Amino acid sequence: MKTPLQIEFQQKALPTRLTSLAWVMIGAGAALAVAAWYVDGPRAAFNNVVMFMMLASIGIGSLFLISLEYVAGAVWSTPMRRVSEILAFIIPVTGVAALPMFLNLHDLFHWTHAEAVEADAILKGKSPYLNVTFFGIRFVATFAIWYLFYHFITRNSRKQDSTGDQLFTRRNIRLSAIFIPVFAVTVTFLAIDWIMSLEPHWFSTIFGVYYFSGTMLAALAAATIAIILLHENGYFGTLLRRDHFYSLGALMFAFVNFWAYIAFSQYLLIWYANLPEETFWMTRRWEGGWEFLSLALIVVHFVVPYVGLLAQEAKMNPRRLKIMAIWILFAHFIDLYWLVMPTHHESFFFGWMEVGFPLLSVGIVLLVFILRYRKTSLIPTGDPKLKRGLDFRL
Amino acid sequence: MSFVDYSVEPPVVEGKPPLSSIDDAIIKPIDAKPTKAWFVAIAVSGTMLLIGAASLAVTFIFGVGMWGVNQPVGWGFDIVNFVFWVGIGHAGTLISAILFLLRQRWRTGIARFAEAMTIFAVMCAGLFPLIHTGRPWLDGYLMPYPNQHGLWINFTSPLVWDVFAVSTYFTVSAIFWYVGLIPDFATLRDRTVSRIKKIVYSILSLGWRHSNRHWQHYEMAYLILAGFATPLVLSVHTIVSFDFAVSIIPGWHTTIFPPYFVAGAVFSGFAMVQNMLIGIRKIYAIEHIITIDHLEKMNKIMITTGMMVGYAYGMEFFIAWYSGNSAETFVFFNRALGPYAWAYWTMVICNVVFPQLFWFKKIRRSIPAMFVIGVLVNVGMWFERFVIVVTSLSRDYLPSSWGFYVPSIYDIGILIGSFGLFFTLLLLFVKSMPVVSISEVKGVVEGAQPSHGGSH
Repeated sequence: MKTPLQIEFQQKALPTRLTSLAWVMIGAGAALAVAAWYVDGPRAAFNNVVMFMMLASIGIGSLFLISLEYVAGAVWSTPMRRVSEILAFIIPVTGVAALPMFLNLHDLFHWTHAEAVEADAILKGKSPYLNVTFFGIRFVATFAIWYLFYHFITRNSRKQDSTGDQLFTRRNIRLSAIFIPVFAVTVTFLAIDWIMSLEPHWFSTIFGVYYFSGTMLAALAAATIAIILLHENGYFGTLLRRDHFYSLGALMFAFVNFWAYIAFSQYLLIWYANLPEETFWMTRRWEGGWEFLSLALIVVHFVVPYVGLLAQEAKMNPRRLKIMAIWILFAHFIDLYWLVMPTHHESFFFGWMEVGFPLLSVGIVLLVFILRYRKTSLIPTGDPKLKRGLDFRL
Repeated sequence: MSFVDYSVEPPVVEGKPPLSSIDDAIIKPIDAKPTKAWFVAIAVSGTMLLIGAASLAVTFIFGVGMWGVNQPVGWGFDIVNFVFWVGIGHAGTLISAILFLLRQRWRTGIARFAEAMTIFAVMCAGLFPLIHTGRPWLDGYLMPYPNQHGLWINFTSPLVWDVFAVSTYFTVSAIFWYVGLIPDFATLRDRTVSRIKKIVYSILSLGWRHSNRHWQHYEMAYLILAGFATPLVLSVHTIVSFDFAVSIIPGWHTTIFPPYFVAGAVFSGFAMVQNMLIGIRKIYAIEHIITIDHLEKMNKIMITTGMMVGYAYGMEFFIAWYSGNSAETFVFFNRALGPYAWAYWTMVICNVVFPQLFWFKKIRRSIPAMFVIGVLVNVGMWFERFVIVVTSLSRDYLPSSWGFYVPSIYDIGILIGSFGLFFTLLLLFVKSMPVVSISEVKGVVEGAQPSHGGSH
């Protein structure tokens, strides 16, 4: 079944100074990062983990949001879906961003030290899972699977632009339904491999869910920032309304709460049971200055966005929503920093290296967005749900 | 095979029934005399209830020693049943509050019934901790009271949190349900010819006149209650999971318990709602209001939550091994291969394997198939709680104190009684109140919505 093209849409080109800005950020960030690798390799490696997980959150989170729209049959997000499709192109870039870390696995992961594993019964027990070969296989498999789903889902979506054939929607619903359980498993093991196994003795069954809640926030926040900036500068014309922004804000608000719920569950259960095999991970984050970051995390990641997004007006007003989205993206960075960095050093640290890598990540996301935007129509003009999405009212 | 047209919104109510016909369809069974089938049904459920009452009487006279619980399994059927019934209750609030916040209009047809089910299920659940105290005449001490004796209260115990969580949940669910019923009571009041009914419905409808201002306040109240009920429903099963997870018993203490229990609760609750609605829509001839599309959507939620539960089973197993903690690893191997392996595999097959059939659209839309799967899910979810409670306790750290739990006939009697209570209350409900929200369904009939923009 074909849907006739529903709207005339003239895509505006992004300004060239944005490209320059992206290159400046990448240049400055990369320079700092390279310097960091020379000055203090292990510290740079840990920074690289934060950057890698941040990019992964945005990339794979965006693909998950797209598949969620297809599976749930949502219409409100259809006019804005392309932004997430563009952001999902970060997936292959993320894979590349991980490569420097493979040269420094020894600095990152205690379980790569053969003599340490030999002397430690618990690490020895884990070695069928935690070994470099299997770790590498999991990494390659994860990114290959993600890329394939990304490739087929977005290709179907783009093909529909010219034909308006509903067949592509149906195909994408199927692909998305398969992708969601695959995503659940892969994202869990990504979190276990790259964050949990930094402290190879520590374990927590909820950890995959914890990281998942962060990916959703990062992907939603990144999409919201892009959508509102494009909207404010007239790239969407007059197509988007407060109803659309409200929905984005409400979803973000829901995941702010979800993150807090998961984080609290994990903390409470570990605190209450008070078993040394679990608590050491928390006590590490309660010493040497990290306790201030731990407390700040509650405020930054929960209290501020909760209060900031609670009111209906906050979700409907694009300017306020944009500020909250930027804040949430920052909060996810703090969260990753809190998860990863205390393993590197027992006392809190923050210096120019920790500025360089985030700068590089922002530059990468921006550049990827610009390059991908050129090849994609901002509006999925052939999507059968587009008209309903544009007419969406609360 | 016909394909869905994604460019048009699928109708929530089939056909374009005149609004008055909706009143008639929903209210007719309440006005009419009870049918023979209804009497048969209540005779059966009443008998079950009496079996439970007799078992309880024996328990109260001779003490909880009549049950199968003993060292080391001090928590048996009663806690299993408690968690099971609380779980059943979750679908109601999920449908009425969370789907309301998510603006899922298809919820209107099924919300009322699911809410009623929630309330009755929570009643069933609440019974078990009360009788499990062993001295139910002292249960009043569970509630806060002026504490001159300095005995109360152990605020650090999740069992106390349970008292607060379940009673708050029950209160808010009941208010939510009642607020939704007010406009419908007014409709009933205006239609009935019986004097007694008129008086009862007049009192229940609180002077509702369907005025514009009434509706404005109503909508606001409903939205706020939905906002309250949403975190509440998540908190209840979270706290139920804390009953286990804060302890240091292998197999109980694991951080994924809160979301895992919530997903499981929604899973079993939807299975129960789906089962009950299949019967109701047939008997009441409201198949155009509770359509096969509704049931299909519920089945989709079941496969989703079923896979979440499957994820949790897998993650527990993996981390038990990954942790390197031998007690933890043992518990999971014991579950899968030990004396209760049959219960474990019943759980896995019913909860994870069978729901996979819902990948096929044919099965999602086949009434007999979905009914059977729904029943299996509830069996599986009951066994999940059994596996968690019993296997972990029966074999913990010290092999010399291992034991084996077998329920007594009184345990089984009380379980049957709880089903009897549940079905009896439901039968009384369907005979005295509208099982579908009349006013809300009218709002989603095609043509009832204001049109935005566009040309008409």
